[in-house]
Amino acid sequence: MTHTVKMPYQRWALTGIAALSLLGSAGCAASPTPAPGNGGAAGGDAADTAVPGGGSGDYANGTYSATGSYQTPGGEESIGVTVTLESGAVADVQTEPMPSNGTTELYQGKFSSGIKEQIVGTPLDELSVDKVSGSSLTSGGFSNAIEQIKSEAAQ
Amino acid sequence: MNPAGGAGRFSFEAIGTGWHIDTPAELPTEVRAVVLNLIDEYDAVYSRFRPDSRIAVLAGGGSVDLPASGEALGGLYRTLHRLTGGAMSPLVGRSLEQLGYDAGYSFVPLGTAVPAAGWDDTFEWIRTTIRSEQPVTLDVGAAGKGQLVDLVSAALLEAGYPEHTVDAGGDMAHRGSSPLRIALEHPYTPESAIGVVTLDNRALCASGSNRRRWADGLHHVLDATTGQCVDTVVATWVLAADAMVADALATALFLVPPEVLLAEFDFDYVRVQSDGRAQFSTSLAGALF
Repeated sequence: MTHTVKMPYQRWALTGIAALSLLGSAGCAASPTPAPGNGGAAGGDAADTAVPGGGSGDYANGTYSATGSYQTPGGEESIGVTVTLESGAVADVQTEPMPSNGTTELYQGKFSSGIKEQIVGTPLDELSVDKVSGSSLTSGGFSNAIEQIKSEAAQ
Repeated sequence: MNPAGGAGRFSFEAIGTGWHIDTPAELPTEVRAVVLNLIDEYDAVYSRFRPDSRIAVLAGGGSVDLPASGEALGGLYRTLHRLTGGAMSPLVGRSLEQLGYDAGYSFVPLGTAVPAAGWDDTFEWIRTTIRSEQPVTLDVGAAGKGQLVDLVSAALLEAGYPEHTVDAGGDMAHRGSSPLRIALEHPYTPESAIGVVTLDNRALCASGSNRRRWADGLHHVLDATTGQCVDTVVATWVLAADAMVADALATALFLVPPEVLLAEFDFDYVRVQSDGRAQFSTSLAGALF
C-alpha cells in the first residue's frame, strides 16, 4: 500500500469515528429513561455510547443525512452519512461512499462500513431462508460433552 | 425452511459437527465415501482431540510433515498472527487446555490463563513442515474446519458435481447457479436471527463466544498473547471467496477491528459486540433487521 492511497482511508476513518461518537452521545443524552428492566434477549450495557453529564437536547425521531468532505492528494472527496433516530437513540447509521476518482472509490468502498446500535431478533420461523449460520450449530462434540457433564453433575 | 439445494442431500456427523451436502442429483456411494475419507484423513492429521493425530507429537516438541493443504493453512495463520499482533496463533492450544478445553473435554481450568507460546525462533511452519523446539499444543480450529469445507467442495467438483453446498454446522461454501438465503443466528437467542445474507458462489463462516461456554463464563475464543477469553465481541460472520479464509477471519474479527483485516483480505462481515451493537460491511447494508 502506498502513501497516496492510504490517505483517503485514514482521513475517512477519523471523520467517521468523530461523527459516530458525537451522534452516539447525543442519542443517549436525549433518552430520558433508558427503559429499566429492558430484559431483551440482547441485553448488555451500551457502555460505549453512554456519556455521563447533562446533555439536554431533544432529538426528533427521523432520518438525518449529512455529507462530509475531505482533501485527498487526488482532490476533494465526499462521503454521506445517514442516521436514523428512534426514541431519542441512534437506531441506524449508514455511510454512502461518493468517490470521484478510482483510487478513492476502491478505498471508500472497501473500508466504509455500517453500524447498527442494537441488533434485533426475528424468529426463524417467520423467515424464509435456506439455512442458518451461527455458533450454536458449530460444535456438536462440545455441546454433547457439556450436556454429559450437566447430567453427571445432576446425579 | 425450504430445503433448497435440490434432490440430493447427504447428511452425516463428523469432526463433532453436523454436515449437510446438497447437490442437484443424489451423490453415489463412492463419492460419499471419498468425502468421508477426506474428512477422516484431515482429522487424523490436525485434531487436537485425538492422541493419535499427526500434530499430537508436537506435545513433546519435534517436527511434523503435513499434507499439501498444510501450506495454505500455515501461510494464512502466519499472516493473521502478524495482523493481530500475535493474538491469533495456532499455538493457542496450550492456553485452551489451561482453561479446561482439553482433549478429554474436562472443562476444569488448571489455573489462571497462560499466554500461548510465542511464534518465534523455536517454532516454524514452513510450507508443509512444522518444527518446534518446545512442547506445544497446536490448535488450528480457527481455520481448519473452513479448509476442510473447501477440500470437500473441491472433491465434489472433481467428482463431477460443480453445483453444491457444503455446510459443516453453519460454516459453508456454495457453488452453483441458485444463491441461498442464510439467516444469521441471534447470538443470545438461537431460535431467532439478526439478519439474512445471500450466499452466491462464496463461503460463509461464523464464530461466536456465546454458545461454546463452560465454567465462569469461559469460552473458546482466546487472545493468544494473554490466554484469556475475548469478551468485547460475541458473534461474527464473514463472507469470502473460500471457507478457510472466511473461517479464520471470523475468529480474527474477535481480536482486531475489520479495517486491519480489510487491508489484506477481501471479505464482507457482520461483527456483533457484547453491548449489542453491530458493525457490518456496506455491501451487507439491509442484511440486518
